Amino acid sequence: MNQADLSKLVSALRIAVKPKPRPLSCPEGPAGRLRKLRATVTALVKYERIELYYPRAEEAQGYAERLISDAIRNGDCHKHTMEMADYWLNEKQLVHKLFKVLVPRYQNYNSSFSRLVLGPNSYPGYFAGTAILELKGNPFPALQPETHNYHYWLHNVLLDEAKKEFRSAREERNAGTTESVTAES
Amino acid sequence: MLRRAVLQTFRQGLAQSFFKRYAVSLTETTVTHQPIETSNEAGERSVPTQKTGDESRNTVVVAPPEFRFMYPEFLPDPAMETRNRLREKLERMDMLQRRSVIEIPEFYTGSIMAVTVADANSPNKFARFVGICIQRGGSGLRAWFILRNVVDKQGVEILYEMYCPLIQKIEVLRLERRLDESLLYLRDALPEYSTFPLDMEPERRLNNSVVPINPLKVKLRPRPWLERWERQNLQGVEDLNLPQRFYDKAEKVAKPWEKYDLMLHYRKTIPAEEQEKIFAEIHSQLQQQELKRKLRRRRGPDNEQ
Repeated sequence: MNQADLSKLVSALRIAVKPKPRPLSCPEGPAGRLRKLRATVTALVKYERIELYYPRAEEAQGYAERLISDAIRNGDCHKHTMEMADYWLNEKQLVHKLFKVLVPRYQNYNSSFSRLVLGPNSYPGYFAGTAILELKGNPFPALQPETHNYHYWLHNVLLDEAKKEFRSAREERNAGTTESVTAES
Repeated sequence: MLRRAVLQTFRQGLAQSFFKRYAVSLTETTVTHQPIETSNEAGERSVPTQKTGDESRNTVVVAPPEFRFMYPEFLPDPAMETRNRLREKLERMDMLQRRSVIEIPEFYTGSIMAVTVADANSPNKFARFVGICIQRGGSGLRAWFILRNVVDKQGVEILYEMYCPLIQKIEVLRLERRLDESLLYLRDALPEYSTFPLDMEPERRLNNSVVPINPLKVKLRPRPWLERWERQNLQGVEDLNLPQRFYDKAEKVAKPWEKYDLMLHYRKTIPAEEQEKIFAEIHSQLQQQELKRKLRRRRGPDNEQ
Protein backbone atom coordinates (compact mmCIF):
# COMPACT_ATOMS: atom_id res chain seq x y z
CA MET A 1 0.00 0.00 0.00
CA ASN A 2 1.42 3.37 -0.88
CA GLN A 3 0.68 6.81 0.36
CA ALA A 4 -0.43 9.36 -2.18
CA ASP A 5 2.33 11.66 -3.38
CA LEU A 6 1.67 15.11 -1.91
CA SER A 7 4.32 17.13 -3.69
CA LYS A 8 1.98 18.23 -6.49
CA LEU A 9 -1.66 19.20 -6.48
CA VAL A 10 -3.38 17.94 -9.62
CA SER A 11 -6.89 18.58 -10.88
CA ALA A 12 -9.17 15.63 -11.47
CA LEU A 13 -9.27 14.66 -15.13
CA ARG A 14 -12.70 14.18 -16.67
CA ILE A 15 -11.65 11.40 -18.99
CA ALA A 16 -11.43 7.70 -18.26
CA VAL A 17 -7.84 7.08 -17.15
CA LYS A 18 -6.63 3.51 -17.42
CA PRO A 19 -4.70 2.14 -14.40
CA LYS A 20 -1.55 1.36 -16.40
CA PRO A 21 0.08 3.35 -19.21
CA ARG A 22 0.77 1.82 -22.60
CA PRO A 23 4.47 1.16 -23.35
CA LEU A 24 4.26 2.51 -26.97
CA SER A 25 7.34 0.56 -27.96
CA CYS A 26 10.11 2.33 -29.83
CA PRO A 27 13.90 1.92 -30.13
CA GLU A 28 14.69 4.60 -27.53
CA GLY A 29 12.47 3.02 -24.90
CA PRO A 30 10.52 5.13 -22.38
CA ALA A 31 12.32 8.33 -23.41
CA GLY A 32 11.19 7.73 -26.97
CA ARG A 33 7.65 7.10 -25.79
CA LEU A 34 7.49 10.57 -24.25
CA ARG A 35 9.13 12.09 -27.34
CA LYS A 36 6.42 10.59 -29.57
CA LEU A 37 3.65 11.73 -27.25
CA ARG A 38 5.16 15.21 -27.16
CA ALA A 39 4.87 15.39 -30.93
CA THR A 40 1.24 14.27 -30.71
CA VAL A 41 0.33 16.76 -27.97
CA THR A 42 2.05 19.57 -29.87
CA ALA A 43 0.11 18.68 -33.01
CA LEU A 44 -3.15 18.53 -31.08
CA VAL A 45 -2.65 21.97 -29.59
CA LYS A 46 -1.54 23.35 -32.98
CA TYR A 47 -4.21 21.88 -35.26
CA GLU A 48 -6.96 21.18 -32.67
CA ARG A 49 -8.05 18.08 -34.59
CA ILE A 50 -5.72 15.28 -35.60
CA GLU A 51 -6.20 11.79 -36.99
CA LEU A 52 -3.89 9.07 -35.73
CA TYR A 53 -3.89 5.53 -34.38
CA TYR A 54 -6.02 4.84 -31.33
CA PRO A 55 -3.44 3.72 -28.71
CA ARG A 56 -1.26 6.79 -29.15
CA ALA A 57 -4.32 9.02 -29.30
CA GLU A 58 -5.62 7.71 -25.99
CA GLU A 59 -2.25 8.22 -24.27
CA ALA A 60 -1.82 11.70 -25.73
CA GLN A 61 -5.33 12.67 -24.65
CA GLY A 62 -4.37 12.09 -21.02
CA TYR A 63 -1.24 14.22 -21.29
CA ALA A 64 -3.06 17.02 -23.13
CA GLU A 65 -5.81 17.10 -20.50
CA ARG A 66 -3.22 17.16 -17.71
CA LEU A 67 -1.34 20.00 -19.35
CA ILE A 68 -4.47 22.11 -19.84
CA SER A 69 -5.81 21.37 -16.36
CA ASP A 70 -2.47 22.36 -14.81
CA ALA A 71 -2.45 25.57 -16.86
CA ILE A 72 -5.97 26.40 -15.67
CA ARG A 73 -5.21 25.59 -12.04
CA ASN A 74 -1.82 27.30 -11.75
CA GLY A 75 -1.65 29.91 -14.51
CA ASP A 76 1.43 30.92 -16.44
CA CYS A 77 3.36 32.41 -13.51
CA HIS A 78 3.74 28.97 -11.92
CA LYS A 79 7.25 27.69 -12.52
CA HIS A 80 6.43 23.99 -12.70
CA THR A 81 3.51 24.50 -15.10
CA MET A 82 5.65 26.61 -17.40
CA GLU A 83 8.38 23.92 -17.37
CA MET A 84 5.82 21.29 -18.33
CA ALA A 85 4.37 23.47 -21.08
CA ASP A 86 7.87 24.16 -22.37
CA TYR A 87 8.64 20.42 -22.47
CA TRP A 88 5.37 19.19 -23.93
CA LEU A 89 4.92 21.85 -26.62
CA ASN A 90 7.77 21.70 -29.12
CA GLU A 91 6.77 24.99 -30.78
CA LYS A 92 7.08 27.84 -28.31
CA GLN A 93 4.27 29.91 -29.87
CA LEU A 94 1.93 27.14 -28.73
CA VAL A 95 2.86 27.87 -25.12
CA HIS A 96 1.33 31.31 -25.67
CA LYS A 97 -1.70 29.68 -27.31
CA LEU A 98 -2.11 27.36 -24.33
CA PHE A 99 -2.19 30.12 -21.73
CA LYS A 100 -3.88 32.84 -23.74
CA VAL A 101 -6.40 30.93 -25.86
CA LEU A 102 -7.04 27.50 -24.39
CA VAL A 103 -7.09 28.44 -20.70
CA PRO A 104 -9.81 31.11 -21.10
CA ARG A 105 -11.74 28.78 -23.40
CA TYR A 106 -11.76 25.92 -20.89
CA GLN A 107 -11.88 27.95 -17.69
CA ASN A 108 -15.49 27.11 -16.86
CA TYR A 109 -15.76 23.70 -18.48
CA ASN A 110 -17.28 20.93 -16.38
CA SER A 111 -16.44 18.28 -18.95
CA SER A 112 -13.22 17.08 -20.53
CA PHE A 113 -11.33 19.45 -22.83
CA SER A 114 -10.77 16.96 -25.62
CA ARG A 115 -12.79 14.39 -27.51
CA LEU A 116 -11.57 11.05 -28.82
CA VAL A 117 -13.66 9.69 -31.67
CA LEU A 118 -13.03 6.35 -33.41
CA GLY A 119 -12.07 6.72 -37.02
CA PRO A 120 -12.13 4.46 -40.06
CA ASN A 121 -10.35 1.08 -39.86
CA SER A 122 -8.61 -0.58 -42.74
CA TYR A 123 -9.80 -4.18 -42.96
CA PRO A 124 -8.59 -6.83 -42.60
CA GLY A 125 -6.18 -6.39 -39.72
CA TYR A 126 -5.48 -7.16 -36.11
CA PHE A 127 -4.32 -3.65 -35.31
CA ALA A 128 -6.19 -0.98 -33.40
CA GLY A 129 -7.91 1.38 -35.77
CA THR A 130 -7.56 5.08 -36.32
CA ALA A 131 -8.95 7.72 -34.04
CA ILE A 132 -9.61 11.43 -34.24
CA LEU A 133 -8.44 13.44 -31.28
CA GLU A 134 -9.77 16.98 -31.10
CA LEU A 135 -9.96 19.83 -28.63
CA LYS A 136 -13.50 20.89 -27.80
CA GLY A 137 -14.60 24.28 -29.00
CA ASN A 138 -12.56 24.01 -32.19
CA PRO A 139 -13.70 26.03 -35.24
CA PHE A 140 -14.28 23.01 -37.51
CA PRO A 141 -17.68 21.43 -38.23
CA ALA A 142 -18.71 18.78 -35.73
CA LEU A 143 -17.59 15.22 -36.39
CA GLN A 144 -20.70 13.61 -34.98
CA PRO A 145 -24.22 14.99 -35.47
CA GLU A 146 -25.72 16.46 -32.36
CA THR A 147 -28.37 14.01 -31.26
CA HIS A 148 -30.46 15.68 -28.62
CA ASN A 149 -33.86 14.51 -27.64
CA TYR A 150 -35.62 17.31 -25.87
CA HIS A 151 -38.83 16.53 -23.98
CA TYR A 152 -40.54 19.68 -25.20
CA TRP A 153 -40.32 18.81 -28.88
CA LEU A 154 -43.80 18.20 -30.27
CA HIS A 155 -43.44 14.56 -31.18
CA ASN A 156 -41.90 13.81 -27.77
CA VAL A 157 -44.82 15.55 -26.02
CA LEU A 158 -47.34 13.57 -28.05
CA LEU A 159 -45.51 10.32 -27.43
CA ASP A 160 -45.34 10.95 -23.67
CA GLU A 161 -49.06 11.62 -23.52
CA ALA A 162 -49.83 8.53 -25.59
CA LYS A 163 -47.69 6.42 -23.21
CA LYS A 164 -49.52 7.84 -20.19
CA GLU A 165 -52.91 7.11 -21.76
CA PHE A 166 -51.89 3.55 -22.60
CA ARG A 167 -50.65 2.93 -19.07
CA SER A 168 -53.74 4.32 -17.38
CA ALA A 169 -56.04 2.33 -19.74
CA ARG A 170 -54.12 -0.87 -18.87
CA GLU A 171 -54.39 -0.16 -15.15
CA GLU A 172 -58.14 0.37 -15.45
CA ARG A 173 -58.49 -2.89 -17.32
CA ASN A 174 -56.44 -4.74 -14.69
CA ALA A 175 -58.43 -3.14 -11.87
CA GLY A 176 -61.67 -4.12 -13.66
CA THR A 177 -60.64 -7.78 -13.99
CA THR A 178 -59.42 -8.06 -10.35
CA GLU A 179 -62.65 -6.54 -9.07
CA SER A 180 -64.65 -9.00 -11.11
CA VAL A 181 -62.45 -11.85 -9.76
CA THR A 182 -62.87 -10.72 -6.12
CA ALA A 183 -66.61 -10.24 -6.62
CA GLU A 184 -66.90 -13.77 -7.95
CA SER A 185 -64.84 -15.24 -5.07
CA MET B 1 -1.58 27.36 41.72
CA LEU B 2 1.92 27.17 43.13
CA ARG B 3 2.39 23.73 41.59
CA ARG B 4 1.35 25.03 38.17
CA ALA B 5 3.82 27.93 38.42
CA VAL B 6 6.63 25.52 39.34
CA LEU B 7 5.77 23.24 36.38
CA GLN B 8 5.77 26.21 34.00
CA THR B 9 9.18 27.46 35.05
CA PHE B 10 10.55 23.90 34.81
CA ARG B 11 9.25 23.56 31.25
CA GLN B 12 10.63 26.97 30.31
CA GLY B 13 14.03 26.04 31.75
CA LEU B 14 13.98 22.83 29.75
CA ALA B 15 13.00 24.68 26.61
CA GLN B 16 15.86 27.14 27.11
CA SER B 17 18.42 24.37 27.62
CA PHE B 18 17.20 22.56 24.51
CA PHE B 19 17.25 25.79 22.57
CA LYS B 20 20.88 26.39 23.51
CA ARG B 21 21.82 22.81 22.61
CA TYR B 22 20.09 22.78 19.26
CA ALA B 23 20.36 26.45 18.44
CA VAL B 24 23.03 25.66 15.84
CA SER B 25 20.73 23.46 13.79
CA LEU B 26 17.80 25.83 14.14
CA THR B 27 19.62 29.00 13.17
CA GLU B 28 21.11 27.54 10.00
CA THR B 29 18.49 28.58 7.52
CA THR B 30 19.07 27.25 4.07
CA VAL B 31 15.43 26.41 3.67
CA THR B 32 14.74 24.83 0.31
CA HIS B 33 11.04 23.96 0.71
CA GLN B 34 8.28 26.12 2.04
CA PRO B 35 7.68 25.51 5.75
CA ILE B 36 4.36 23.87 6.42
CA GLU B 37 2.07 25.94 8.58
CA THR B 38 -0.12 24.09 10.98
CA SER B 39 -3.35 25.33 12.46
CA ASN B 40 -2.55 27.35 15.54
CA GLU B 41 -4.12 27.17 18.99
CA ALA B 42 -7.12 29.23 17.94
CA GLY B 43 -7.92 26.62 15.26
CA GLU B 44 -9.40 29.32 13.07
CA ARG B 45 -7.82 28.25 9.80
CA SER B 46 -10.98 26.84 8.26
CA VAL B 47 -12.70 29.64 6.40
CA PRO B 48 -16.33 29.03 5.58
CA THR B 49 -16.63 29.56 1.84
CA GLN B 50 -19.71 30.24 -0.21
CA LYS B 51 -20.31 28.03 -3.23
CA THR B 52 -20.13 30.36 -6.21
CA GLY B 53 -23.27 30.67 -8.26
CA ASP B 54 -24.90 27.56 -6.82
CA GLU B 55 -28.40 26.89 -5.67
CA SER B 56 -27.25 25.86 -2.15
CA ARG B 57 -26.75 28.95 -0.01
CA ASN B 58 -25.25 27.01 2.89
CA THR B 59 -21.69 27.83 3.89
CA VAL B 60 -19.26 25.09 2.91
CA VAL B 61 -16.50 24.48 5.42
CA VAL B 62 -13.28 23.62 3.66
CA ALA B 63 -10.37 22.09 5.52
CA PRO B 64 -7.14 24.12 5.48
CA PRO B 65 -4.67 23.04 2.76
CA GLU B 66 -2.10 21.89 5.33
CA PHE B 67 -4.34 18.95 6.25
CA ARG B 68 -2.94 16.82 3.47
CA PHE B 69 0.53 17.04 5.04
CA MET B 70 -0.67 16.63 8.60
CA TYR B 71 -2.96 13.64 7.93
CA PRO B 72 -1.66 11.97 4.76
CA GLU B 73 -2.93 8.54 5.82
CA PHE B 74 -6.55 9.68 5.32
CA LEU B 75 -5.93 9.79 1.57
CA PRO B 76 -6.45 6.41 -0.08
CA ASP B 77 -3.89 4.42 -2.02
CA PRO B 78 -3.88 6.01 -5.49
CA ALA B 79 -3.58 2.64 -7.32
CA MET B 80 -6.77 2.52 -9.34
CA GLU B 81 -7.20 -1.24 -9.28
CA THR B 82 -7.65 -1.35 -5.51
CA ARG B 83 -9.85 1.72 -4.97
CA ASN B 84 -13.13 1.09 -3.22
CA ARG B 85 -14.98 4.19 -2.07
CA LEU B 86 -17.14 2.41 0.46
CA ARG B 87 -14.20 0.68 2.10
CA GLU B 88 -12.32 3.98 2.22
CA LYS B 89 -15.25 5.73 3.88
CA LEU B 90 -15.59 2.99 6.48
CA GLU B 91 -11.84 3.12 7.12
CA ARG B 92 -11.98 6.86 7.66
CA MET B 93 -14.80 6.39 10.18
CA ASP B 94 -12.75 3.80 12.03
CA MET B 95 -9.69 6.01 11.95
CA LEU B 96 -11.60 8.90 13.50
CA GLN B 97 -13.00 6.56 16.12
CA ARG B 98 -9.49 5.46 17.06
CA ARG B 99 -8.28 9.05 17.11
CA SER B 100 -11.01 9.91 19.60
CA VAL B 101 -9.59 7.33 21.97
CA ILE B 102 -5.88 8.03 21.58
CA GLU B 103 -4.07 11.16 20.46
CA ILE B 104 -2.11 10.57 17.27
CA PRO B 105 -0.14 13.79 16.95
CA GLU B 106 1.06 15.51 13.84
CA PHE B 107 4.52 14.34 12.85
CA TYR B 108 6.78 14.25 9.82
CA THR B 109 9.78 12.28 8.68
CA GLY B 110 12.62 13.56 10.82
CA SER B 111 10.59 14.10 13.97
CA ILE B 112 11.73 12.40 17.14
CA MET B 113 8.95 10.39 18.72
CA ALA B 114 8.28 8.06 21.64
CA VAL B 115 5.78 5.24 21.30
CA THR B 116 4.38 3.20 24.20
CA VAL B 117 2.99 -0.18 23.23
CA ALA B 118 1.15 -2.73 25.35
CA ASP B 119 3.45 -5.73 25.60
CA ALA B 120 2.41 -8.85 27.55
CA ASN B 121 6.00 -10.13 27.76
CA SER B 122 7.68 -7.05 29.26
CA PRO B 123 7.92 -6.59 33.06
CA ASN B 124 5.97 -3.33 33.05
CA LYS B 125 3.45 -4.63 30.50
CA PHE B 126 4.37 -1.56 28.41
CA ALA B 127 7.27 -1.10 26.05
CA ARG B 128 8.45 2.40 25.25
CA PHE B 129 10.71 3.22 22.35
CA VAL B 130 12.17 6.55 21.34
CA GLY B 131 13.48 7.16 17.85
CA ILE B 132 13.56 9.36 14.80
CA CYS B 133 10.88 8.79 12.19
CA ILE B 134 12.76 7.73 9.06
CA GLN B 135 9.81 6.81 6.86
CA ARG B 136 6.08 6.79 6.91
CA GLY B 137 3.67 5.13 4.56
CA GLY B 138 0.51 3.13 4.16
CA SER B 139 -2.95 4.54 3.88
CA GLY B 140 -6.07 4.16 5.95
CA LEU B 141 -5.91 1.92 8.99
CA ARG B 142 -2.68 0.36 7.78
CA ALA B 143 -0.71 3.59 8.01
CA TRP B 144 2.71 2.99 9.53
CA PHE B 145 5.91 4.77 10.44
CA ILE B 146 9.40 3.53 11.27
CA LEU B 147 11.36 4.80 14.26
CA ARG B 148 15.11 4.39 14.35
CA ASN B 149 17.50 4.63 17.29
CA VAL B 150 20.88 3.27 18.26
CA VAL B 151 20.71 1.35 21.54
CA ASP B 152 23.97 -0.04 23.02
CA LYS B 153 25.75 0.56 19.68
CA GLN B 154 23.10 -1.51 17.89
CA GLY B 155 20.87 0.21 15.38
CA VAL B 156 17.23 -0.63 16.02
CA GLU B 157 14.26 0.16 13.80
CA ILE B 158 10.68 -0.51 14.75
CA LEU B 159 7.71 -0.23 12.41
CA TYR B 160 4.59 0.93 14.20
CA GLU B 161 1.12 0.83 12.71
CA MET B 162 -0.49 4.07 13.73
CA TYR B 163 -3.95 2.69 14.33
CA CYS B 164 -2.93 -0.51 16.09
CA PRO B 165 -4.98 -0.89 19.28
CA LEU B 166 -1.88 -2.06 21.18
CA ILE B 167 -0.39 1.41 20.95
CA GLN B 168 -1.01 3.24 24.20
CA LYS B 169 0.67 6.57 23.55
CA ILE B 170 2.43 8.40 20.74
CA GLU B 171 4.43 11.44 21.78
CA VAL B 172 6.31 13.77 19.52
CA LEU B 173 9.40 14.83 21.41
CA ARG B 174 10.74 17.09 18.68
CA LEU B 175 8.56 18.13 15.78
CA GLU B 176 10.61 19.04 12.74
CA ARG B 177 11.10 18.09 9.14
CA ARG B 178 14.23 17.22 7.21
CA LEU B 179 15.35 17.90 3.68
CA ASP B 180 14.22 14.46 2.45
CA GLU B 181 10.95 12.61 2.70
CA SER B 182 12.70 9.34 3.51
CA LEU B 183 15.67 9.09 5.86
CA LEU B 184 16.62 5.50 5.05
CA TYR B 185 20.18 6.71 4.47
CA LEU B 186 20.58 6.99 8.24
CA ARG B 187 21.23 3.25 8.14
CA ASP B 188 24.48 3.96 6.30
CA ALA B 189 25.27 7.14 8.21
CA LEU B 190 27.50 7.54 11.24
CA PRO B 191 25.66 6.27 14.33
CA GLU B 192 25.64 9.67 16.04
CA TYR B 193 22.98 10.86 13.57
CA SER B 194 20.57 8.15 14.69
CA THR B 195 21.26 8.18 18.43
CA PHE B 196 18.71 9.75 20.70
CA PRO B 197 18.48 9.37 24.49
CA LEU B 198 15.71 6.98 25.50
CA ASP B 199 14.70 9.29 28.33
CA MET B 200 14.42 12.34 26.08
CA GLU B 201 11.89 14.93 27.23
CA PRO B 202 9.39 16.52 24.86
CA GLU B 203 10.69 19.82 23.54
CA ARG B 204 8.67 22.96 23.56
CA ARG B 205 8.07 24.45 20.14
CA LEU B 206 9.26 28.03 19.76
CA ASN B 207 6.91 28.83 16.91
CA ASN B 208 3.65 26.94 17.00
CA SER B 209 2.46 27.76 13.53
CA VAL B 210 5.42 26.70 11.38
CA VAL B 211 7.13 23.31 11.44
CA PRO B 212 10.88 23.97 11.17
CA ILE B 213 12.97 22.25 8.53
CA ASN B 214 16.27 20.96 9.90
CA PRO B 215 18.84 21.54 7.13
CA LEU B 216 21.22 18.99 8.61
CA LYS B 217 23.50 17.23 6.13
CA VAL B 218 24.43 13.78 7.32
CA LYS B 219 27.85 12.12 6.90
CA LEU B 220 27.75 8.59 5.56
CA ARG B 221 30.08 5.78 6.56
CA PRO B 222 32.49 4.49 3.89
CA ARG B 223 31.08 2.08 1.31
CA PRO B 224 29.59 -0.59 0.99
CA TRP B 225 26.12 0.82 1.50
CA LEU B 226 22.67 -0.72 1.57
CA GLU B 227 21.49 1.33 -1.40
CA ARG B 228 23.09 3.32 -4.15
CA TRP B 229 22.63 6.70 -2.52
CA GLU B 230 24.38 8.54 -5.34
CA ARG B 231 21.50 7.54 -7.67
CA GLN B 232 18.86 9.07 -5.42
CA ASN B 233 18.58 12.78 -5.33
CA LEU B 234 19.27 13.15 -1.61
CA GLN B 235 19.37 16.65 -0.19
CA GLY B 236 20.16 15.76 3.40
CA VAL B 237 23.47 13.99 2.78
CA GLU B 238 26.91 15.50 2.61
CA ASP B 239 29.00 15.19 -0.52
CA LEU B 240 29.49 11.45 -1.07
CA ASN B 241 33.02 11.82 -2.50
CA LEU B 242 32.77 8.81 -4.78
CA PRO B 243 34.90 8.05 -7.84
CA GLN B 244 33.53 9.58 -11.02
CA ARG B 245 32.47 6.19 -12.46
CA PHE B 246 29.65 5.99 -9.90
CA TYR B 247 28.19 9.29 -11.02
CA ASP B 248 28.62 8.35 -14.69
CA LYS B 249 26.73 5.10 -14.15
CA ALA B 250 24.06 6.98 -12.19
CA GLU B 251 23.57 9.32 -15.15
CA LYS B 252 23.38 6.38 -17.54
CA VAL B 253 20.75 4.67 -15.42
CA ALA B 254 18.77 7.78 -14.61
CA LYS B 255 15.28 8.44 -15.99
CA PRO B 256 15.18 12.21 -16.48
CA TRP B 257 11.99 12.02 -18.53
CA GLU B 258 9.99 10.92 -15.48
CA LYS B 259 10.12 14.48 -14.23
CA TYR B 260 7.89 15.45 -17.17
CA ASP B 261 5.62 12.42 -17.18
CA LEU B 262 2.33 14.07 -16.25
CA MET B 263 0.25 10.89 -16.27
CA LEU B 264 2.76 9.13 -14.01
CA HIS B 265 2.33 11.91 -11.45
CA TYR B 266 -1.45 11.74 -11.86
CA ARG B 267 -1.54 8.01 -11.20
CA LYS B 268 0.60 8.43 -8.08
CA THR B 269 -1.61 10.96 -6.37
CA ILE B 270 -5.19 11.78 -5.47
CA PRO B 271 -6.72 14.74 -7.35
CA ALA B 272 -7.20 17.96 -5.45
CA GLU B 273 -11.00 17.93 -5.63
CA GLU B 274 -11.13 14.49 -4.05
CA GLN B 275 -8.63 15.49 -1.38
CA GLU B 276 -10.74 18.51 -0.49
CA LYS B 277 -13.84 16.34 -0.26
CA ILE B 278 -12.15 13.82 2.02
CA PHE B 279 -10.68 16.40 4.35
CA ALA B 280 -13.87 18.45 4.48
CA GLU B 281 -15.59 15.26 5.65
CA ILE B 282 -13.20 14.63 8.53
CA HIS B 283 -12.21 18.20 9.31
CA SER B 284 -14.96 19.03 11.77
CA GLN B 285 -14.50 15.79 13.71
CA LEU B 286 -10.75 16.27 13.98
CA GLN B 287 -11.25 19.84 15.17
CA GLN B 288 -13.73 18.70 17.82
CA GLN B 289 -11.30 16.04 19.06
CA GLU B 290 -8.51 18.62 19.29
CA LEU B 291 -10.68 21.01 21.27
CA LYS B 292 -11.72 18.28 23.70
CA ARG B 293 -8.09 17.35 24.25
CA LYS B 294 -7.09 20.95 24.89
CA LEU B 295 -9.88 21.32 27.43
CA ARG B 296 -8.81 18.11 29.14
CA ARG B 297 -5.23 19.35 29.26
CA ARG B 298 -6.24 22.69 30.73
CA ARG B 299 -8.47 21.06 33.31
CA GLY B 300 -5.81 18.44 34.12
CA PRO B 301 -3.53 20.43 36.49
CA ASP B 302 -6.57 21.98 38.19
CA ASN B 303 -8.09 18.54 38.79
CA GLU B 304 -4.81 17.31 40.28
CA GLN B 305 -4.95 20.03 42.88
